[in-house]
Amino acid sequence: MNLYVLSFGFGLITASILAIASVGFTLQFGVTNILNLAYGDVMTGCAFIAYLVTRAGGSLAEALLAGAASGALASYGLNRFVYTPFVRRGTRMFGMIIVTISVSLVLQNGLQGIFKATFFSLALPRPSSYTFAGMIFTSQQFVIIALAVVAMLFVHALLSWTKLGRAMRATAADPELARSCGIATDRVIDVAWLLSGALCGTAGVALALNVTSFTSTAGGQFLIPIIAAAVLGGVGHPYGAMVGAVVIGLSAELSAAVIPPSYKEVVAFLILIVVLLIRPQGIFAEVATQKEVVA
Amino acid sequence: MSGEPLLSVRGLAKSFGGVEAVRDVSFDVAAGSITGLIGPNGAGKSSVLAIVSGFLAPTSGSVHFGGELVSGHSAYRLARLGLVRTFQLSSEFERLSVIENLLVAAPNQRGDRLRDVLAGRWRWRAEEEEAVARARELLARFEIPEKEDDLAGDLSGGQKRLLELARALMTEPKLLLLDEPMAGVNPALIRRIEAHLMALRDEGLTMLMVEHELGVVERLCDPVVVMAQGQVLSSGTMAELRANEEVLDAYLAG
Amino acid sequence: MSSSMQFYISNLLVYLGVDVMACLGLNLQFGVAGLINLAFIVFQAAGAYTAAVLTLGPSTARGGFQSYILGAHLQFPLPWLAAAVVGGALSFVVGLIVLRRLRTDYQAMVMLVISLIATTVVTNATGLFNGSNGLALIPQPLESVLKLSPVGYQWFYVGLTFACTILVWVIVRRITGSPLGRTLRAVRDNDVAAASLGKNVTQLRLIAFVAGGAIAGLSGAILAQFISAWSPGSWLFPESFVYFSAVIVGGAGNNMGAVVGAALVPVAFLEATRYIPQFGYPGLVDALQWVVVGLLTLGVMWFRPRGVFPERTRRFARPPGSEPTHE
Repeated sequence: MNLYVLSFGFGLITASILAIASVGFTLQFGVTNILNLAYGDVMTGCAFIAYLVTRAGGSLAEALLAGAASGALASYGLNRFVYTPFVRRGTRMFGMIIVTISVSLVLQNGLQGIFKATFFSLALPRPSSYTFAGMIFTSQQFVIIALAVVAMLFVHALLSWTKLGRAMRATAADPELARSCGIATDRVIDVAWLLSGALCGTAGVALALNVTSFTSTAGGQFLIPIIAAAVLGGVGHPYGAMVGAVVIGLSAELSAAVIPPSYKEVVAFLILIVVLLIRPQGIFAEVATQKEVVA
Repeated sequence: MSGEPLLSVRGLAKSFGGVEAVRDVSFDVAAGSITGLIGPNGAGKSSVLAIVSGFLAPTSGSVHFGGELVSGHSAYRLARLGLVRTFQLSSEFERLSVIENLLVAAPNQRGDRLRDVLAGRWRWRAEEEEAVARARELLARFEIPEKEDDLAGDLSGGQKRLLELARALMTEPKLLLLDEPMAGVNPALIRRIEAHLMALRDEGLTMLMVEHELGVVERLCDPVVVMAQGQVLSSGTMAELRANEEVLDAYLAG
Repeated sequence: MSSSMQFYISNLLVYLGVDVMACLGLNLQFGVAGLINLAFIVFQAAGAYTAAVLTLGPSTARGGFQSYILGAHLQFPLPWLAAAVVGGALSFVVGLIVLRRLRTDYQAMVMLVISLIATTVVTNATGLFNGSNGLALIPQPLESVLKLSPVGYQWFYVGLTFACTILVWVIVRRITGSPLGRTLRAVRDNDVAAASLGKNVTQLRLIAFVAGGAIAGLSGAILAQFISAWSPGSWLFPESFVYFSAVIVGGAGNNMGAVVGAALVPVAFLEATRYIPQFGYPGLVDALQWVVVGLLTLGVMWFRPRGVFPERTRRFARPPGSEPTHE
């Protein structure tokens, strides 16, 4: 079995999880300019919720729903009760970074405090494996890929064909202008957090589904690849984030076939740094201007 | 007045992506004048200002300052040569006091060099005291001496304008580029700033002013350069320009 | 005073000194110059590592059970000087690549990622850094020369630390109280305006970054030789955050604030929680400590964002009789 082809298969799965997560991330970052470094930890939290659901006998579908719902709720709540108050108070960009890191610390360690530092897996029946063109997939992994496709189509439809979607794009481009055109930017921001949170939660469950076991740091470890995918594609451009996810996911897994696997994550790190230093606007955006945070 | 212009711009051009913001712009700024640069929105005035002050690299063309070729110099190098600009949006150092804002602008200070700083206060104290005296004179001149220790961020909009002007003057500039100095300023303060600028011109300071308020331009500037759609349309006194068909069209259309 | 009490207090004082130095350095980078150096701990670790390998001797000695680069047996204070130089040089290299016109949040991300890359590389490059085991049995400065009792040596080390802390304080005070410090603050507030006034923004940021990095390196060396060990696990990203929290709590932009922050957060808080008996399961108290650090930071950012000692502006003496009249 060709190692590269196998790795390509792994790359597709990673790219799928990344795609769901980074589209969520980019939607929220694009609209509000708040770099939510607690995003990965919300993912972990939703993975734990999914775990509890499956432990109580729930099916995969129920776990996914629970994960998406709690992600939406948590993200919305985080913005409503923590981030927005700080922004309204006049906290600016670098203050908000400290705020989000603090939240991340509280969440990650809070989860560890509740669930202990042991490892967990979703209590689901063992999936069957399939071989396909030299790559191995389990049925659960097919679900993940399908989820990613469905999520992408949903986001595409939302942004292109609904009034809400257009309002989101306008707010992301220029909140002042959008407001003066009569767009209820407050509601748009709420929706952005809800949607981003739902995607975050779904990605968290998918992540838990894909690994043999996860712990309280699982989501946090995924944060940088998520940001890398979002930035690579251009912040605020969901299609860009999808492309970015594929690039990051594939390069990380394919590189593991060449360099020692423990350096796999460094690949995503390096891509992010290089993009930020050479072309911070990513592939699809025009200019990475200094914008202020919006709440 | 010497024959050679203080600032000379030739064939300046700048494109962003496919868009030509500036096309073959040439003009001179004579020493001791207040030269105006006007035009409708999108004419390319801000781009020209940014290029001349070193904040934007031109696609082609040249800028000569005091006879020297300076195209491609970065903003801080130009400032050290005496070419200083102010900004349209207030750009004070908000967490510094008013007098600290001015002191930062004082040029050639020993106290700015790490070596002298580590050696101790005695190395730079005298120079700083001179700078403080000069800063106080400027604050008095602009009639805001009592604001000396206030945080710059706490000043009113008009006071910030005065601060910005005073700060630019601390650098002892040879050419001052003013980016819409009257934008958002109330009429009474506009007159006061005009008086300050005229006094500065009488003292020999050269200025290039981008401005929308045509009344201000009329009272202060001679000559005036008109731009539209990235090119220079014409230049002359306001009276001459008002009689110029092309210029009128550009303003009505743009 | 009993011997164990003396050990405890001298330990605390050395940690306090190290943390004060680190916070003064970070305050220079972040509070004064506005650089969000989320990778701060990497520079402290680099200094610690340098001091370690320059005193451990060649790696093949003692049966070669630890592998690392650049072994040597240098006399004190050379390893500490080298640590400061390495901290500064590493900052220079990183700064050249990274300190450019970038949005604040992107800048922060770049630093965060550098911190994570450093951790991964160090933990995995076993040949260079002895992997996750780190280095042990680092000799202590002048130990064989002075032949003091264990308690006596502790107090000697406290004295050394204190001397270095004073040195760092003087350097940092000179910078921040001078026109250079004022210019750094101006660059922080509005770098475009600073450039328009003739300031070389990149060079100025590099100065702050390198100075802070050298101080970080020195503080790392002092710590490493005190505990005689260096382990990658002690230099992870959250440690940078503890220092940030300390600087913010104490008052960013104020040197006294940095000192107070160091005393309050890494020292007082973490010390106080050491005495809580381990309840729940092992590791619960540690997790809760981090939760409290996070909440504390949020609390300070909300209730007193400028910290215990807010940044101050300078007032200049007036010659007598020249008070301006108030309108």
